[in-house]
Amino acid sequence: MARRIRTTKNLAKRMDLQYFKLAHPLRSWRLWLSILVPVIAVVWFAAQRASSQKVYSSGPLSAAHAVLGKNCNVCHVTTLGFFRAKVSDDACLKCHDAPAHHAEKVDFTARCGSCHVEHKGSLRLASTENVSCTQCHADLRTRNGSPQYVRDVKDFDKEHPEFAALRPGARDPGQVKLNHYAHLRPNLAGPTGPVQMDCQDCHRLRLAAMDGSWPYAMPQAMSQSMSQPIPRPIAAGMSADLKHAPSQDYMAPIVYATQCAGCHVKDLQFDKRFDQVAPHDKPEVVQAFLIQKYSDYFASHPGALKEAVAPERILPSTVKLPLPVPRNRQEWMDQQIMLADRLLFDKGCKLCHVMIEGNGAEGNALPMVAKSSIPARWFLHAEFDHDSHRLLTCTACHTRTPDSRQTADILLPGIESCRDCHEDGGPRHDAASGRCSECHAYHDWTKERPTKGKFTIPQLRAAR
Amino acid sequence: MRIDETHRRWFIVSLAALIVAAVIYVPYSRSAPEGANGGTVAGLTYGIIAFAFMLFAGLLGARKKVPIWRVGRAQAWMRGHLWLGFISFPLILFHSGFRFGVGLTKGLMWLFAVVFVSGIVGAVLQHFMPRFETQRIPMETIYEQIGRVRSQLVSEAQILVEQACAALTGSVSQATEQQRAASASAGTKGGLTVASGLDVDEGAGVELKEFFRRELQPYIVEGGSRGMALADRNQSKSMFQQLRLLLPPNLHSSVDDLENICEEKRELDQQAQYHRILHTWLLVHIPASYALLLLGAVHAVMALRY
Repeated sequence: MARRIRTTKNLAKRMDLQYFKLAHPLRSWRLWLSILVPVIAVVWFAAQRASSQKVYSSGPLSAAHAVLGKNCNVCHVTTLGFFRAKVSDDACLKCHDAPAHHAEKVDFTARCGSCHVEHKGSLRLASTENVSCTQCHADLRTRNGSPQYVRDVKDFDKEHPEFAALRPGARDPGQVKLNHYAHLRPNLAGPTGPVQMDCQDCHRLRLAAMDGSWPYAMPQAMSQSMSQPIPRPIAAGMSADLKHAPSQDYMAPIVYATQCAGCHVKDLQFDKRFDQVAPHDKPEVVQAFLIQKYSDYFASHPGALKEAVAPERILPSTVKLPLPVPRNRQEWMDQQIMLADRLLFDKGCKLCHVMIEGNGAEGNALPMVAKSSIPARWFLHAEFDHDSHRLLTCTACHTRTPDSRQTADILLPGIESCRDCHEDGGPRHDAASGRCSECHAYHDWTKERPTKGKFTIPQLRAAR
Repeated sequence: MRIDETHRRWFIVSLAALIVAAVIYVPYSRSAPEGANGGTVAGLTYGIIAFAFMLFAGLLGARKKVPIWRVGRAQAWMRGHLWLGFISFPLILFHSGFRFGVGLTKGLMWLFAVVFVSGIVGAVLQHFMPRFETQRIPMETIYEQIGRVRSQLVSEAQILVEQACAALTGSVSQATEQQRAASASAGTKGGLTVASGLDVDEGAGVELKEFFRRELQPYIVEGGSRGMALADRNQSKSMFQQLRLLLPPNLHSSVDDLENICEEKRELDQQAQYHRILHTWLLVHIPASYALLLLGAVHAVMALRY
């Protein structure tokens, strides 16, 4: 019997030449799956679409808009007869009256959606990327061709200019004399003995200042005797001069009664015969106070004319000596008030304030106190939140403060101090964010107008 | 399809296109607020190009269905399918800013990931497996004809067994004493009862038929036949060796043929196994591709709306 031999020819003879026309499991599976899988995909899509339009969403909405997630039509408004339903600025303006940024000065106003990019699941839609700002500020063009601000700011890390308040030639415009160095020295004479002052003895956030007790406030008893309530250190209209409404907490302004009086009340003493000190007020008020005090004193002390003037009441450089002996009530009153005026206006007030001499004319004989002009905020076009930085010591950023002796010293930290912690990359570089929106606001919220609600809850929440 | 020298041009062009797309993407993603996204001009451009590539890749199926179309060689279409399909995925990632999104876009991205990965797996298999298969199975047949070949092998084996049995009943056993002793001592092995030398002529025929009925026929008929004794080459060899001891030498050539049939069946099984490996990925790739193109078209239309 011949041995079985396998050849390709033998193999070929076994083939059914019509094999490709016959069904085969693998081909059949491929065919059915090619029908079934797309059908399943379409059914899945239809089921998703039936419940809401969310299936078309390119990503989760921001936290603030998440409530609108079931009804795309709130923002994606279709113009009658058109298929397109892109979000227009009008849709945003229904709820947000966000005034454009320097609209009258620039040629280009960005669409809302070009900066506030939705469907990214961001927590804060207002926290925009730097490119939203640098699309203009990298090469700032204005209608008149001369931008008020730096023309090319491309990033925070390298190109952001030094803060305007710290640029060459800038000085603190404040007219209240303060030597930080002297105030931070140890063993400073306090109300009840030597003290070591701390920054927070005078500088606190407004909200904290409302509740906190100030260590160097005017003693309560003295305040009551003067019938002057201790004012809350909130400056009226503090933000009136600001371009943008402050959204964060700022430092309370320095107020004599709460931050200075504890130690400096003695500088308003004018005569040891009186328990009260002169009021910390305008010269006219002080003058009226003195007249009242000495009138009362003369009336209750018949021998006042013969009383000697206490030496500590005489400020030698301002008074012509020897003092004439008063012969009547008027001369005595004039002398007493003159001595008190000199002691107060030429010494007590002058310790901190810039005094402008009166010209001696009728009604203008008294000096004037120069306006304090202490800036309520240094960053007029940016915001800063001290509370967010509370883990730092004050001098960690305000490094020049302990050695500052001049009022004109600007003790604001420079941008380099910010760059120690803040970087453009932010969390990607294990650093605090350096986005423009950390400090700057695009919209001019001072021009914001209230908006009226336009939706009912079912309109917002009903899935379509 | 083997990825060889003929792919060089496609490879270079695809790589260049990918590099250009990546080079454009870097500044674009840095300059776009909140990063790259499909709604920007650049994002839309990436999306349109990628979808065009996907459509081209999807048309390969149509091109195969109508081989007489004068629209380029099928191999060129295959290369285009492979390379344009390959770069369409990174282009879609550029389009989406490397985000999977939610809803339809998320479904699309996962679907595309499945198509892409299955395509890569398929390309790798198509590159390596055919050569490997040819080395292992020199006499491969057409996969779809394996069932037909198996039934032919059964018939062939049956004829051989019947011829051998007919020869046994008409002749005296030629087995030597030594062979008979060996067969007697072999006992039962591999399911085959070895007869004693005294009744070899009658018993051998019965045993051969029984061997065919219990072992050989089920093995050849059954596709895959994993776990069967004859599926294992060593066990098979031992069983046929015993069969030779049982039968007279003049019938050993028939045993050799039966063993050869078993060997061919093993190769058919192996070929079927390789074929499944080589083609099963298509059960994922093709249906997912159709679903992707369908939902991709919906996405394209709705993205233009929103």
